[in-house]
Amino acid sequence: MITLHNASKTYGNKVEVLQDVDLHIKPGEFVSIVGQSGAGKTTLVRILIGEERLDRGQVVIGDWDITRISKREVPFLRRQIGVIFQDFKLLPKKTLEENVAFALEVSGGTPNKIKKIVPSVLKIVGLEDKKHRYPNEVSGGEQQRAAIARALVHQPKILLADEPTGNLDAINANEIIDLLLRINKFGTTVILVTHNKEIVNHLNKRVITMDHGRIVSDQAKGKYLL
Amino acid sequence: MSVTRPRVSIYYNMLSLYRIIKFSFQDIARNIWLTLVTITILLLALFSINTLMTVRLISDNAVSAIKEKVDISLYIRPETPESEIMALKAQLTNSERIKNVLYVSKQSALETFREKYKNNQAVLAALKELGRNPLSPSLTIISQNFEESNLLINELKMLESPIIESRDFSDNTVILNKINSITKRVNEVGLFIISIFILTSLLVVYNAIRVAIYTHRQEIEIMRLVGASNFFIYMPFIFSALVYALLSVLIIISVFYPFLTLLQPYLEVFFMGYNVNILSYFVSNFWLVFGLQFLAVLFINVIASLFAVRKYARV
Repeated sequence: MITLHNASKTYGNKVEVLQDVDLHIKPGEFVSIVGQSGAGKTTLVRILIGEERLDRGQVVIGDWDITRISKREVPFLRRQIGVIFQDFKLLPKKTLEENVAFALEVSGGTPNKIKKIVPSVLKIVGLEDKKHRYPNEVSGGEQQRAAIARALVHQPKILLADEPTGNLDAINANEIIDLLLRINKFGTTVILVTHNKEIVNHLNKRVITMDHGRIVSDQAKGKYLL
Repeated sequence: MSVTRPRVSIYYNMLSLYRIIKFSFQDIARNIWLTLVTITILLLALFSINTLMTVRLISDNAVSAIKEKVDISLYIRPETPESEIMALKAQLTNSERIKNVLYVSKQSALETFREKYKNNQAVLAALKELGRNPLSPSLTIISQNFEESNLLINELKMLESPIIESRDFSDNTVILNKINSITKRVNEVGLFIISIFILTSLLVVYNAIRVAIYTHRQEIEIMRLVGASNFFIYMPFIFSALVYALLSVLIIISVFYPFLTLLQPYLEVFFMGYNVNILSYFVSNFWLVFGLQFLAVLFINVIASLFAVRKYARV
């Protein structure tokens, strides 16, 4: 599903944020990527969504080599990878339902498709009762669930979660992780980038540990090592 | 996984257009204060430019009117038959240097005189005492080109006609030179001030649009992240720029015409006897004046939007 080969990225002349990273993630896997700040986790996510380009090496998603992806193709890539962030990134002037529908509207989804998919993803994340509320009218956990619903509307094969629980309390964080596990059970590959030791240890799934731009550990049923 | 491009059909294009318009109006309505501030800035800029243009028009019109009022008159012997006066008038009208010749009959001259001195009982009493109309008919000549008035005067000095009683050329040279000098100065200063004003207004408008889009930087970032194409990211802002331009010009029209209607009677009183009509100028040049303003505002709005969105929409 995702393959990185000798992936390297340097900011400016000196800061090497990724160094010869070799990585393969299979379809349907649930992978946690852990590491301290500056380890290269976020750069990896940015490369996978076409926000950054590698200096050396290769990155392939499915059968699509995105190493030198053109600016014109980036929107098409992003419609096939769901992404959620620590700060939710919801549009404050749109309701939760409109935020979810927005991802379909900007990619040319037909009204019928929107009518069918939006309620179903809102139901999956348990927000069907709060769909008319604005982001500032719901809790952080509900905002993150709306962000997940938005990420799911394109029925992506991959869901990238960059510190999704960073702004949440323990109860809401666990709810979000449970939701990600349910989504993974449907067959979606989930890549979880996190600092949260308890969550990683509780998951008992594959853990990739990064340090100074390198993969220092890759365990099939791993623990948070750092 | 491979790149899948959406089908580009008329339906898809219409759907995109509908959504762009919807996002734009949604944004305008949900950020109503920002919209109001942006439109107010556009209105202030347009009002300043239009006011300055009005002042310039008034000064231009006033100078032209004064130029036309620099009389060159030929007084005709009182007993001359009207047919001979008309023949002389026709002869004068044929001259290339003459724009128009106005015939003022004895009766008309008397009426004007009475009107002019209606508050001066002594003059009116003297006129009554006289028992007849002492005024002569006259031909008032308006030159084709104000700057060539002196040549016309020379031409008229040489005109031989037995019906001409006297010629009143006053001393036009001094007033001619003075008006020409004032006109030139007004033109130079006016153009400079208008240029500075337009430039300032455009910069203010440019900045207002950039500030408006700055507040949407998070939205632009999110649009990118959920896979919006550049077309979809740019177009709602471009459409909003169009709406702002259209609204501001429509409002300025609806404010400016009543303002001119109110101003016109005052101008008529101030320039009594002169033909100064600002309202008719704006009516007859409506499309030129406001069409150009709309295009200028639209252009600056779109340019500002493009630059501002580009800054936040970088992949």
